[in-house]
Formats: sequence, structure tokens, C-alpha cells
Amino acid sequence: MVLWKRKKKSDKEQIPSGQIIDNSQDKQLTHDLVHNIDTLTNVFQKDTDFSSRTFHIVGETPAAAFYISSLVDKEKINRDIIHPLQETNSRADRTTLLGKKNLLLSLLYDVLYYSDGEIVSGYDEILDAILHGKTVVLVDGYHDALILDTFTLEKRGITEPESERVVRGPREGFIEVLQTNISLLRYRLPVPEFRAESIEIGEKTKTKVAVCYLDNIADDDLVLEVKKRINDINVDRILDAGYIEQFIQDNPRSPFPQVQNTERPDRAVGNILEGRVVILVDGSPFALIVPAVFNQFYQTSEDYLSRFIMSSIIRFIRFVALLFSLTFSSLYITVLSFHPEMIPAQFMVAASSGRAGVPFPVVVEVLLMEIAMEILREATIRMPQQVGGALSIVGVLVIGQAAVSAGFVSPITVVIIALSTIGSFATPSYNAAIAFRMLKFPLIILSGIIGLLGLAIGLMFIVNHMLSLRSFGVPYFTPLSPWNKEGVKDSFIRAPLRWFKERPSELHPKDRIRVESSVKEGPTNPLANRKRGKS
Amino acid sequence: MNKQRDKVTNLQLSFIVISTMIGVSLLSLTRFIVEYSGSGAPFATLVGIVIGLIGIVGLVLVGKRFPTKTIIGYNEIILGKSFGRMMSVFIILLFIILAGLETRQYAEAIKGSILSETPIQVAIIAMILLCMTTSYQSVATFAYIHFFYVPLILIPILLILVFAFRDAEMYHVTPFLGHEPSIKEFINGALVLPQALGNFLVIAMVIPFMKEPMKSMKGAVWGYLIAGLIIFIVVTMTVAVFGDKEIMQMFWPTLILGRMIQVPTEILSRIDAILLISWIYAVFTTLLSYYFIIVRGICELFRFHHYRLISVLAAPIVFIIAILPDDIFHMYDYILLVTKFALLPLLVYPFMLLVVAAIRRKKGHE
Repeated sequence: MVLWKRKKKSDKEQIPSGQIIDNSQDKQLTHDLVHNIDTLTNVFQKDTDFSSRTFHIVGETPAAAFYISSLVDKEKINRDIIHPLQETNSRADRTTLLGKKNLLLSLLYDVLYYSDGEIVSGYDEILDAILHGKTVVLVDGYHDALILDTFTLEKRGITEPESERVVRGPREGFIEVLQTNISLLRYRLPVPEFRAESIEIGEKTKTKVAVCYLDNIADDDLVLEVKKRINDINVDRILDAGYIEQFIQDNPRSPFPQVQNTERPDRAVGNILEGRVVILVDGSPFALIVPAVFNQFYQTSEDYLSRFIMSSIIRFIRFVALLFSLTFSSLYITVLSFHPEMIPAQFMVAASSGRAGVPFPVVVEVLLMEIAMEILREATIRMPQQVGGALSIVGVLVIGQAAVSAGFVSPITVVIIALSTIGSFATPSYNAAIAFRMLKFPLIILSGIIGLLGLAIGLMFIVNHMLSLRSFGVPYFTPLSPWNKEGVKDSFIRAPLRWFKERPSELHPKDRIRVESSVKEGPTNPLANRKRGKS
Repeated sequence: MNKQRDKVTNLQLSFIVISTMIGVSLLSLTRFIVEYSGSGAPFATLVGIVIGLIGIVGLVLVGKRFPTKTIIGYNEIILGKSFGRMMSVFIILLFIILAGLETRQYAEAIKGSILSETPIQVAIIAMILLCMTTSYQSVATFAYIHFFYVPLILIPILLILVFAFRDAEMYHVTPFLGHEPSIKEFINGALVLPQALGNFLVIAMVIPFMKEPMKSMKGAVWGYLIAGLIIFIVVTMTVAVFGDKEIMQMFWPTLILGRMIQVPTEILSRIDAILLISWIYAVFTTLLSYYFIIVRGICELFRFHHYRLISVLAAPIVFIIAILPDDIFHMYDYILLVTKFALLPLLVYPFMLLVVAAIRRKKGHE
């Protein structure tokens, strides 16, 4: 392995456009309707859901409509396309219509009351439109086509996000459909500066990706860089936001997430308002938030809703939980097998008498238990929900109780492992928690070999790595290092909302000031001016 | 992107100075000062800090004259290509040797306190690996790392000092000038300090990467003074608690000071292991600075910008130097020798550069 050489990015291959139909390049639409119908039907002849329907416009001019029935709203086609085209009310209309120079244009302008409609002539565009659930209307004598958006999709309702539950706060979560997700954002941000730019990626899946930001807040360079990185993606499929995340992150070899994902529109909007960019991917209920710094991974949207002292304490507890999940088991090994002098004698006696019958060294014992715990965790996620509960009970009983009574592990080890596992579940962000849980293993091994020094060195490796990380140019440990006084107000503590007067400066927002003053006038006592005695 | 934003600020510069200065030597420094100056050690420390201050001011002055160049760069401009490069090679060699010896010093302390049965090479390799994997990062990352560790280093030190007050005895530190002071011994004691802390040379590699190099004086001097103050308090407290006679029996008086602390509640019976961890952080930041000078220096000298390669290649050399001394006594002999005849003159070196630059009318590009 060559450590010092960064892999050079291979030059992007130019994809020839319209690859799907490269053998039908010669096929062009002509003025002859029958020929056109043949051409199009040939492409889709094996598909059961492809439909074509021929009819006469106002009873005279032959025309045909093409659509993929699984993608369109048939009722819409009947009511809004075929119906107005087939019959016109008055005779006068009819003659004027057919007398018009360009029938297609006048159909679009005068006859069809349809919000999304256009006239195209390219063969590729027409195929593309059909595949995106649009209805194509061909008229005899014209080699152009009328394209009308009739797309409809089965979608689930908006439900509470599974992965980010809150006690207090909105219950809405993103769903798979991009348009709905954008509407959820726009509903909360009714300002003209809100942008949702669409980019299409994935050679085969042609997934729509929306880059959402506030024009007057988000840094131009940041937005450009996000769009550039997304455009640079060269892959055949984008099946979820997770694909995009892996292609646009700064350091793909790092265990730490450098892009935040959320299912909550309120959280996405909060981040947009701070100057971040939110990436929505069609087909994924997760929004990506960039840049992401480490702090964000133990914060929840709920933190801003309850009173600041409570939120600060809760954040602190989460932070401690994160540290627990990373270091607790290795600290236990260190103390027990290398530095028993660190803890008081009584505790040491208790710990070692519990280990009396255990046949392994502490490090093996802890390692085995941690692995068992990870297996349990993974199994519980994959199990169907009804069985999952049962499994966790079995797991706790068997692995915990029985292992102890069998003399396989000591009771204190079980306590330690449980603490370190629960610690990782207290982290709101699943991907950050899993990073820490996996990094726990090298630390366990290191501290099993060289004790406290191993633990210290291992932690420094992790911290140094995190300090060298950047997410879209923003250092991962902002606002701690580099120090940022304003940023610390919203980091491991959560200062009162009225203190947040500036947007995070590491994002270089165009408009730094959130508000001049959070409360226009201080509270007044409405009862103070009432005279006593009178009611 | 955002390369322009990854600049070192003044605050970060002062933290770099602090965490570079507070390092391996903190454990043994008191002993060497006491060896020369006896109970006059605190006062000798003060004098030493002032001497060092002159050095750092000189360094910043040169840096401000050449705000876009590191010490390697302006060596060539001021002294001419061949002689300037020779000086740069000398500086880099010095820091390679220092890095090796100080790694050894740290490993000895680890062996002596927590890992008595583990081969000393393990501790050395662990630390060198750590420095190796970090030293090729950007200057901004270097600054962030220093910034992050400083609180982790300072808080435990301050904790020791607060708890140590209970055992301090006034008569240990009097007379302030030491018993029967002789100028020569006193100055020798005072010079131990700049000998141990001359590593602030690292700022000469950082100044050109600053947001405002012309304002670096404030950050550098403040950092130096804070670090100096902490070291002064540590020396004074150690002498006040143990007295000069007792200190002469110890290799690492500061560590023993930490061992004496008892935490009020019965959670931990001894916290010296935890203090040792924070000292490992201090060691790491200091060695990282050395490594940084080595890697950046070599790359700039040979105009070869493969930082990763250089930091990998430098690792075995530092390792060999670290295992060269036979034992701890040899090691301290070497350290004192190297710092006395190589690091001390470096304090005067910036002024020499300034004079030559003034004579040859050399200035940095605007």
C-alpha cells in the first residue's frame, strides 16, 4: 500500500447521450402518424403497461396518445386530455381550430387546460417523457409531440420519523417522494429566497436530487461545491441518499460520518437557516445536511424546544454517553489488569472476587462480551418487530444471567458492557454511534496490550483523525477547535435561544446576523397597573 | 475548497507555543534547575523565562520581516543559498535528534511509572507512530490539534498545583537566591529553562501560514508568558513541597507531586495515572511540533512536497536515536549536551539573522 500517494481521480468518461436507444438513432418522427405510432410501439412492444390510444381531434384529425399506464393517472388522461380533444362545443371553434396554422400550439394554448405541457420534437425527449409518466400526444401531419405531465405515484402518508423520535416537536417526517419532501420544506420556509435546484444523476436510475438552500444566507462557494460534487458523481444507480452521501463526503476512508442525515423537515429547515445546504434525493426519506460537524451528531431537534438548562444537561449527558460507549470497557480492562492501584482497595477486591472463576483474562472476557452484544444488536434490528422484543429478552437473560452463573463472565463485566452499549444507544445519530461502537474494539485490544498508555494513544489516534477531518471545508471539531465563541453556545451546551444572534461563522453565511434582538421588548406585568380593591 | 479559510489565528499560535513548550521536560525540569541553583530554582526559572523571551521575540521579529517565509525559506534569503541551506540542515538535524531523545525520555518515564514490565520500545513505537500519522497534515490541522489538547494538558496540571498547596513549606523556597549563590551556577540553572523550552522555534514554521503574520508578536509572546508562568509555578510548587535536597533524589519530581494527591471522595485512590495521561498529551503535542519541523523543513529544503513519505521515512531514524542511549543517565547526558550546544545558540540565531538581513538589505516580499 502506498501511504503517501493519493489516488488520482480518473478522468470522467463522457457518456454518450441517449445510450438506451443507440441502435435507433435513425428513427425520427415524421409527419406520418402511422409510422410514428409504429416507431414508438416497437420500443415498448414487450411491456404490458405501455398503452397507446388513437383518436380523432374534434372528430377529424387523427391523433394518438402514448403513456405507461403504471405511471399515470388514467382518470386525468380521460378527463383532461382525451375529452377536451375529442369534442369541442361549437362548430365555430372547430373550424377556427383546424384552420390554425399550427394545430399543436393552439391545442396547447386554447384547448387543453393543463398546467404542465410542452411541445418537443426530439425522439429521445419523447421516450424520456413517456418513461417519466408523461403522456405524449402525436397528431397526424406534425413531427412534433405534445407532452403532458400525467405522472402519479403510489405514496405512503407522512408519518412520524422512525429514527428520530421526539417527545416534543412536530411529528412529520420526510417520505420517499421528492416533491412532497420539497413541499414540506417550502411550507416551513415561505420566502422567495428558498431554492430547490434539481440535478439528475445515476446513469440508469436517473434519480432526481434537489439541492435546497437559502439564497441570501448560504455561502455561494458552498452551494457551488455541493452542486459540483453531486454533478461529479458517475454511477449507474442512486437508490437512496446514502449513495450520494458516500460520493460527496470529504474523506471516504474515515469511520466518522461527515454528512448528516435526517428524516425531520424541521431539522432540515433549521439547518438551512443556519446556512447549510440540504440535499433531498428522490426515493429516499432521508435528507442530507452538509457541511456536518461532530457536534451535530449528538444534538436533536428537540434540544431547541425545551428550556435551555435542561437541554444543556441532556446534551452533556449524551456526550458522556458517547464517551462511555467508546472508552468504558477499555478503561475497565486497563484498571483491572494494569492499574489496580487507581481504584480503592474495596472495589478492587469486589471486582477480582467476582472474576474468581472466570477462565479468561479480562481483555478476552470483555472482547467476547462486546462481540456478543454487537451480534445481539444486529440481530434485534434484522428481526421482525414482533420477534425482536422476545429476542432482546432472551439475549439479556441468556447472555447476562446465564453467562454469569456459568462462571463464563464476571457480573461486573456484564455491568460495564451494558453501560457501554446503552451509552451508544443514547446517541441520537445512528451513524455516529456506530462509528464509536466499532472504534471501541481497537481501543479494547490496545488497552489489553499496553494498558493506560494504549488507551491514551488510541484515543489520541481517534482525536487526531477527527481534528484532521473536514466536511466541505469546515473543520470537524468546530467550534471547539478552531475555537468559535458564538458556536460554543450551540455545541455541548445549548444556550438560551435569545443568545443566538449570529449564524455559525464557520459556514460563512452571507447574512451573519440572525436577529438584532430576540425579544423586542421585555415582558411586562399585565396585572401591575390594576388598582387594588377594584375588580 | 476554502483553502483561504484554513489560516492559523493568533489565539491558535499562542496555544501552539503553550503546548509545545509544556512537554516531556515538565517532569524533570525542576530537578535540573535545582541541581544548579538549589533553593534559588524559582528565581532561576524566572531569569530563564526572561532569557527565553528574548529568543522568541527575536524569532517573531525575523518572521515579521519575512511574513511569507518559514525559517528554512529566510535562511536561504538572508545567508545565501549554500550557507543558509547548511543552517537549515543543521536545524532539522537538531530537531531529529531532539525528537529521538525526548521520545526516549517519555518512554523512560512511562516505564518507570506505569509500564515497568513492557519493553521500552513499545512506548517509543506507539508515540512515533502517532506523530508519524499526524505530522503530514496541513498546518491548520496542526494548529487545531494543539488547540484541542491544551485544556486537557493544563487542567490536570492546575489540579496538581491546587492540591499541592497543602504540602507546600515556605522554608523550602527561601532564600530566594539559593544558599551561597554563585553567579555561574545560578546562570547555569537559569539556562536550563531556555534549553528545555527552545522548541518554540516551531512558530517559525507556522508564522507564514497565519491569517495576519504581522500581528504574530502578540500571540507568540502571550503563549510564551502563559507557558512560562505555568512552568514557573510548577517549579516553585515542586521546590516548595519537596525542598531542594529531596528533589535531587528524584528523576521526575512533578510526577511524584501528582502521586501525593488524594482525591477527597473515594472514587479513585490514586490519580497519578490519569495525570500521566494528560502528560502523554503534552508529550505528544511537543513531539508533534518537532516532527512538524522535521517533515515540513525537509520538504521545503528539498522542494519535495510528499509530506507523507517524509514522515514515514523520518520515523525509523527517530526511533534509532531514541533507542541509542544505554540508560536514563546516558539519555540525560545527551539531552543536556544537545540542548546546551545546539538549542541555546538558536536563541541568539534570530538576532544574527536580523543583523545580517539588515546589512544585506534583504526583505520579505510584500
